Amino acid sequence: MKDFISVSPLRILEKSSRKELGSGNLGVLIARAGVGKTACLIHIAFDKIFRKERLVHISLEEGPEKVMSFYDVIYRDLDQALGFTDGDEHRMMIDRNRMILAYLNQSFDVDRLRTNLMNLTENLEFRPNALIVDGLDFEKAERIIFEGLRGIAGEFQLEIWLSALSHRHVTQTNERGIPYPCHKLDDLFSLIIQLQPEPTGVFLRLLKDHDNPTISDASVRLDPNTFLALD
Amino acid sequence: MNDQIQNLRNIGISAHIDSGKTTLTERILYYTKRIFAIHEVKGKDGVGATMDTMELEKERGITIASAATHCEWKGHRINIIDTPGHVDFTIEVERALRVMDGGILILCAVGGVQSQSIAVDRQMNRYEVPRIAFINKCDRSGADPYRVLEQLREKLNLNGVFVQIPIGLEGKFSGVVDLVLMKAFYFEGTSGEEVREGAIPSDIIEEAKERREELLDAASMFSDDLMEAVLEDEVTEDLIYEAVRTGTVSRGLTPVFLGSAYKNIGVQSLLDGVNRYLPAPTDVKNNAIDLDQKGKEVPLECNPDSPVVALGFKLEVTPYGQLTYLRLYQGSIGKGDNLLITRTRKKLKVGRLVRMHADQMEDVTEARAGDIVALFGVDCYSGDTFTNGRLNYSMSSMFVPEPVISLAINPEDNKAQGNMSKALNRFTREDPTFRSHVDQESGETIISGMGELHLEVYVERMKREFDAAVNTGLPQVAYREAITKMASFDYTHKKQTGGAGQFGRVAGFMEPSESGAYEFVNHVKGGVIPIEFIPAVDKGFQTCLGKGQLIGFPVLGMKMVVNDGKSHSVDSSERAFRAAAVGAFKQVYMKAKPVILEPVMKVSVEGPSEFQGNVMASINQRRGLITSSTEDGVFTTIEAEVPLAEMFGYATTLRSLTQGKAEFTMEFSRYAKVPGSIVEELKSEIQKKTKGEGKS
Repeated sequence: MKDFISVSPLRILEKSSRKELGSGNLGVLIARAGVGKTACLIHIAFDKIFRKERLVHISLEEGPEKVMSFYDVIYRDLDQALGFTDGDEHRMMIDRNRMILAYLNQSFDVDRLRTNLMNLTENLEFRPNALIVDGLDFEKAERIIFEGLRGIAGEFQLEIWLSALSHRHVTQTNERGIPYPCHKLDDLFSLIIQLQPEPTGVFLRLLKDHDNPTISDASVRLDPNTFLALD
Repeated sequence: MNDQIQNLRNIGISAHIDSGKTTLTERILYYTKRIFAIHEVKGKDGVGATMDTMELEKERGITIASAATHCEWKGHRINIIDTPGHVDFTIEVERALRVMDGGILILCAVGGVQSQSIAVDRQMNRYEVPRIAFINKCDRSGADPYRVLEQLREKLNLNGVFVQIPIGLEGKFSGVVDLVLMKAFYFEGTSGEEVREGAIPSDIIEEAKERREELLDAASMFSDDLMEAVLEDEVTEDLIYEAVRTGTVSRGLTPVFLGSAYKNIGVQSLLDGVNRYLPAPTDVKNNAIDLDQKGKEVPLECNPDSPVVALGFKLEVTPYGQLTYLRLYQGSIGKGDNLLITRTRKKLKVGRLVRMHADQMEDVTEARAGDIVALFGVDCYSGDTFTNGRLNYSMSSMFVPEPVISLAINPEDNKAQGNMSKALNRFTREDPTFRSHVDQESGETIISGMGELHLEVYVERMKREFDAAVNTGLPQVAYREAITKMASFDYTHKKQTGGAGQFGRVAGFMEPSESGAYEFVNHVKGGVIPIEFIPAVDKGFQTCLGKGQLIGFPVLGMKMVVNDGKSHSVDSSERAFRAAAVGAFKQVYMKAKPVILEPVMKVSVEGPSEFQGNVMASINQRRGLITSSTEDGVFTTIEAEVPLAEMFGYATTLRSLTQGKAEFTMEFSRYAKVPGSIVEELKSEIQKKTKGEGKS
């Protein structure tokens, strides 16, 4: 297990001032379509699960069966790359520490999420340490949703990772250099990471690091096939 | 001749329980003039739907056995199999799909894609069945076919596209707009038999145009001609029909029809869709296994002049003898023809050949490639392949799930005793998921099946159809045992009691098998166990698998490796080596740290979102592991894995927790180790039961 954690994309956090996102905070992963946002989020999820933390995966586009199949495919790739020895134990860890909440056909709202999380806590004693939110449309979602998510992160003492879709043709950034579509929301995010394909690999770059005003060139190169950290 | 096959449709109707399959079939039969009055499922007229032929089906309002019928619509002959919706009767659905060329997937406009719709869709995928969808109950309060279309795309991953849009919804649902013809259709007369064509109502004309564009976009992916015609604005109806048909047959597109079978709206349009879009037998590829070519797959030719290949896919014992439903894949059969059953090499002469219409039948003199007929008085099993003896083909067998639940039954009196045996003999031939055996220790008859309802229905049928009233015990879970460690054995069986003695020594080890199935490996070198006795060793081990030493349940996933042994030139025999293998197994089994396995079910609970918490708690209390929860509109679906032992009586619990507004389905998922905290309890319970039986 140590093997995976040492090459997980979350190694980018070693370069952040607090070495973690932390409870009560939101983090976002920005990338263009097809670069691998969902895959990268699932790597983050595995990182949490394999540290025996509890995770809720929130899907706003796909049903649970598809989400599970993403996990299965990525797990198989990891197994191939790292040669896991205890598949059964992993399967048990995944089953016990992961919960998928899907919100189809615009069923998602913050109050509903809050109710669902309370149901998990009260009825299953499932207290998540982290939420992964995949498929939230940053272009359409109003600021109030992100504020609500931040509220949930504080209320339930957990960290929330989101993914945001950027476009090649939209080059807008704010004065702090945060690109579209997070440029008007960066005050709500504690960590902003960009996933960018380059000829030598896929890079994870830290664009915002909590309250740290100066970020040196903090990046991690990932294997484009496995999304594991290369150096 | 070719026209006859081209205009033949073999279709199955599948859906979630209570989506209206039987109600729809009743309308189809009425409009195609197979019946002359419509009777409702659980109808007040006391007649019941035509396809629910069993008393029990009519009373409970559910379909238990799939029924076959046929009808004609606008020059096409349609063979229909109406299948049960409840997951306990899944084998009936599997059988129907195996022999169908196309299917109608019915979805409820209110409930949408429900858990059983997903299971049925998975089954359709397994048999590569092209389908059209029918969103039923558009007249019900809360009907939202647009949401259901989205679910069809998201949950079933089907490329669904409307070929119609509704005129009004819920109480105002009055007809459909055909997006190919761009006309409105209303279904009038006392039973909707008069189809009136009209202009599209002005308030939905824009929507109709938009949806037609969507249809053209989707269909043109399957036809260059249509794509060109769209670009040149020269689209014709035939081009659309052809493209949608190509898309449907290739399973790249699922045309979606709308209606309300109960209110007699949209059924005739759906029948047009069956003719237009679903494949003829010639459009579907079917393969057989050529046993003369080491099991090589060979394509079948849907040609009446080719040598006969047919599959017996369903047996039914009627008062006049055994009825075998047959799907003819190639060739023709007529009265008096000779057929051969591939499995038994038994020859038979075709006597009575009939075409089924629910429980009634019509005699026919001949059947041709693509057809579904029934034969009388043939001694065979479900899944047998029939040929005319010129080919040695076998159709690949159907997927048969293992039973997961058992029930002890005891006849109430002597008369019931004899009748019970007859009933069990009949049921086990009809239904491969239903098994029965006599427990050697208790002497009780044990029946096993796919769920509580499955067994309940058979017990009820015993009483009604065979006059065999039985008392039943509590449902028992089909536990299993499995070893967790490798352990070595070295056992000598030696007996000298006068006359020829018995001698055999076997050595080797047992370990968990990776495949999960029983494996026997012979690593014996130098003939220390003579080759002719090796099968006896294997057989000896296999006899032990039926009853593990831990709690007496069958053993799964065992690999036995034999690598040494000894024989005696006079005293060694098959019997001696079989006994040695049994002794070796018993010697080492407990050292291989066996554990108890229990069946774990995949459970899906659907209901209004307000009950999510209650439902979660109820699953948690049952040792369930919730894997996901899906919110869709006002409904929530919770997916979980729950041990079967904890699911007895859940229907009642769920009803009271949710004011009867939620429902659940479950199907076998896997065997899992029973947790340590339960093992001791379970062992003592089983011991108590065994002792109790021993006393009585």
